Order: sequence, then structure tokens, then C-alpha cells
Amino acid sequence: MTYPVELRNVSFYYSAGTPIQVAALKNINLKIGRGELVGIIGHTGSGKSTLISHFNGLLRPSEGSVIIDGEDLGNDKETLRAARFKVGLCFQYPEAQLFEETVAGDIAFGPKNMKLPNDEIQSRVLKAAEFVGLRPELLDKSPFDLSGGEKRRAAIAGVMAMEPEVLVLDEPAAGLDPGGKNEILAMITEYRKRTGCTAVLVSHSMEDIANIADRVIVMNGGTIAMDGTVNEIFSRSAELKNMGLNVPEITRIFIRLRELGYDVPTDVYSVEKGAEILREIIGRRSPL
Amino acid sequence: MIRDITFGQYYPGKSVLHRMDPRMKLVLTFAMIVAVFICHNFYALALMVVFAVSAVLLSRVPLRMILKSIKPILIILAFTAVLNIFYTKGGATYFEWWKISVTEKGVNTAIFTVIRIIVLVVISSLLTYTTTPTMLTDAIERLLSPLKIFHIKVHTLAMMMTLALRFIPTLIEEIERIMNAQKARGADLESGGLIHRAKALVPIFIPLMVSSFRRAYELAFAMTCRCYTGGNGRTRMKQMKLRAADFIALLLCLAVIAGIIVLNIFFTRII
Repeated sequence: MTYPVELRNVSFYYSAGTPIQVAALKNINLKIGRGELVGIIGHTGSGKSTLISHFNGLLRPSEGSVIIDGEDLGNDKETLRAARFKVGLCFQYPEAQLFEETVAGDIAFGPKNMKLPNDEIQSRVLKAAEFVGLRPELLDKSPFDLSGGEKRRAAIAGVMAMEPEVLVLDEPAAGLDPGGKNEILAMITEYRKRTGCTAVLVSHSMEDIANIADRVIVMNGGTIAMDGTVNEIFSRSAELKNMGLNVPEITRIFIRLRELGYDVPTDVYSVEKGAEILREIIGRRSPL
Repeated sequence: MIRDITFGQYYPGKSVLHRMDPRMKLVLTFAMIVAVFICHNFYALALMVVFAVSAVLLSRVPLRMILKSIKPILIILAFTAVLNIFYTKGGATYFEWWKISVTEKGVNTAIFTVIRIIVLVVISSLLTYTTTPTMLTDAIERLLSPLKIFHIKVHTLAMMMTLALRFIPTLIEEIERIMNAQKARGADLESGGLIHRAKALVPIFIPLMVSSFRRAYELAFAMTCRCYTGGNGRTRMKQMKLRAADFIALLLCLAVIAGIIVLNIFFTRII
């Protein structure tokens, strides 16, 4: 069985071969299954961004190998280029990559590089724009006239329009207000539901990931510290704390309640669910 | 990676040279560069070499750093030496073949010029090794401030220089980020002919311009918010003050220059 993304014993050093060599990744073994939504969390500098830059061959491992869709990314230029389109990488603050005269032109940049026929490009642009919720009249505007949230959507649409098998998003909601954040996250869930693609979501916010990811990978100091379901990971909150990470606030409240002797579940990741459970408990008690 | 290029070459330290007033260092460096050029014989040049070597020792900048600054000019040195050996004629002939001859004067001039260039480079790189770029621009601002009477905005120019230096690493990082983002969308930056490559730079250049302008506006706002109104009436956190060490350095340099002049007069000119 092949995996969309597989890393075998991958290590990566910055400034390799110099006295200031820094190991950013240490012997990473990782398999991402088809259709999975994987959340990668870690503290700043834990190697998250370095890790995902290996998925599409932007960075080549110092040691080990990266296998995309069963094909080893050697140093062959063509395989590397193909990987760029199979794994769509959307970096942090992607609005910095907008450059075309129109929004539509910018979204079309990726598909154009794939050398697709024009009508195919057109339909993909419209599809991607609709997906991220950009109104059609915005498509002919200059991307620099859009609002911050719209720019972010346009940039993400630029990656989605390549229709990659694996969609990798680095902090897609960074710097957005809670409303914009939720919309972006809902959009990603919806996109995955509709296309069935594999998705990787990088974040340092547990809240974002807890609600949508099937599987969580915790990075720490260039290694994979934990790998499991959301429940498994959050049950190790003490270890997470040592890595400078924290479980969502609402989950912390429930863990503490449990410690105080209340019979409550600890796999609560959203305030709504938490409120519901609390209401139930309070309702059970007869008023004095 | 582009990030590996270091800008400026300040070597942190606490030596006398590091602590000297940057204005004095700048002026003395210029004076000593002139001094190197007025040397006309090996005795005067030897005095300069002694000066340069003692300055290096005083600065405590490791020898390999000094050698690193000479490395880029090795080709120029070799070129100068060869030209001088073959084209300067005079004195005894050491070697002759067909139209090529090597004479005493040629060899002397070649050695002299090479030493002169090395001393020049060592002295000027000592300035940048012991002074941060910010301190240097500050010193330039102070030294040029008399130009204010000609309505030249010295402070503004110096501020622009400082900001430009400050933002070079930031821009390099930004370029790298944008390049990666466009490569992730399949931009091909490496292959194709000249025109294709120039076109491929558009997706990198435009976002860079946009973000640079944005940064400039933000910086201007931030400076305005902190009541920046230009140089007038502005005080400094780091006051530049001439201390005893600066005057001693001045005297030493004057002594060296005087010595060079005396040696120039007493010994025959060879260049």
C-alpha cells in the first residue's frame, strides 16, 4: 500500500557542514494515510514548517527519503515538480504571495504552471473561488484591493485550484479574528468532505486542531514527540505542558473538575459541548 | 541559503579599539589610508606595517578574520604584482627572455604595492570589525553635521542609511518566503532562457515591492507615533564622547604620520 506522504528516517540540518549546523529534523518516520486530516502541532521552532517543506520537495532531506504517492523524491527535477502539484502547500500568511493583476489571475497561477488547458483552468478558478467563499465580482478586482480575510481566502484558493491530492496548510487561521478563523477551519473541513483529499493542518493552537483533526502529531525539538488521536494526545496533558503546549482551555477545566472528584468526561474540546455537559450535571442536582 | 550571507562584519569585542569613539576611528582610518599612500620607501612602509600589526593586536580580532578580509583581494594582489614586475623597468636586470625582462625596480615596486594594498585592506576592515554599522552611520552623521549650513539634511540621510541596513536581513527573509510560496505553486525559477527567467521573477518581485511599501508605511506610522520629527532637538541614548584613549590614538597616528614624512625625506624614494 502506498501512502500519499511517507517519510523514512528523515533528518534535516540547516547550514549543513558548517560549524553552525543546526538539526531541524531528527530521524523522522511518518506515514500519512489517504483521506486523513492530520494536525501537526508544536512550539515555535519545533520543526513543523521544516517538516512540511519536505512534503513537496521544497527542502531536500539531509538524510533519509521522502516518498510521495509511492514515488521516492530523488533529485530528479521532473519528479520534484510533480510533487509540487500532488502536495499543495500553503504557507503561513499566504496573502504575501499574491501578485497578479486580478484575483482570478492569481488563483490561476498554479493551474497555469501545471500546463492545463485554458477552459480547465477557468473552471478550476471558479470552483476554488466558490469554495473559499469569494464572491464572483471579486475575481476581476486587484488582489491588493481585497480585505485581509479575503486576501487569505484568495491565496488559499490559489493552492486549492491545483487540486492537490494532499492539501497542506501552515497556520491557515493565523492573525484572523475568531469569526474568520472559524470560517477558514469550516471551509477546510468542507473541502475535505467534498473532495476526499488528504489534509495536513499545522498550528500551534490546540483549539483549532482538536475540533477537526482525525490524528494529531506533536513536534518537539525536531522529533515527533506524540502521534495519535486527539483523545490520546490530550490525555497526556502534563507532557504537553512540558513541551510548552497546552490543551484547550475548556478541556483543562474538565480535567481539573475530574481531579476535584466530579464525574465528567475529559474529552471535551469545544465550549458548546462543555456547556451542555455542565448544564446536565447542574440540572441533575436537586435545588436546595 | 541566502541567509548565510552576513552583512557587515562586526566582530564583537571589548578591546580599546572597540570602545573608541567611532568618529575618531573613522577620521583616523581615513588619515592612515592617506598615510599609506604617502609612503615612498620601504622604511616608511615598514612603519605603517608596524602600525597596522599593532592595531590588529590591540583590537583582539582573531587573525583568521583578518585573513578572511584579505582573501577576496588575492586576485587583485596577484594581478598587481604581475603587472608591476613586468612593466616597471629600471635598475639591475634579474631575468631576461625575448621581450620579457624582470628588473630590480619592477620587483621592488611589486612587493611595495602588494604590501601597501594589504595594509590598506587590513586598516579599513579593522574599522568595520570593531564598529557596528549603526555606530558607523551615527559617526558619519555627526561628522557631516556641519553640512547643515548648506541645508543638507544630514540626519535624514543617516537615518535612511541605518534603516536600509536594518532591513536587509528582513528583506532577504521575505524573498525566501515568497520564493518558497511561489515554488509551491509550481513556479519554475531555474530553467528556461533569459526572458523566461526574467518573467519568472515577476511573481516574486511584485509581492516583495508590495510588502516593502507596506513595511515602509508601517514603520513611518510607528515612528510618528513615537513622536519622531527628524533630527532637530533629538538627543541620543549613546552619547559619543572623546576620551583619553581617543586622544592617545590621535597622538599615535600623528606620530606615525610624522615618522613617515621624516623617513620619506631621509631615505631615497623608490616609488
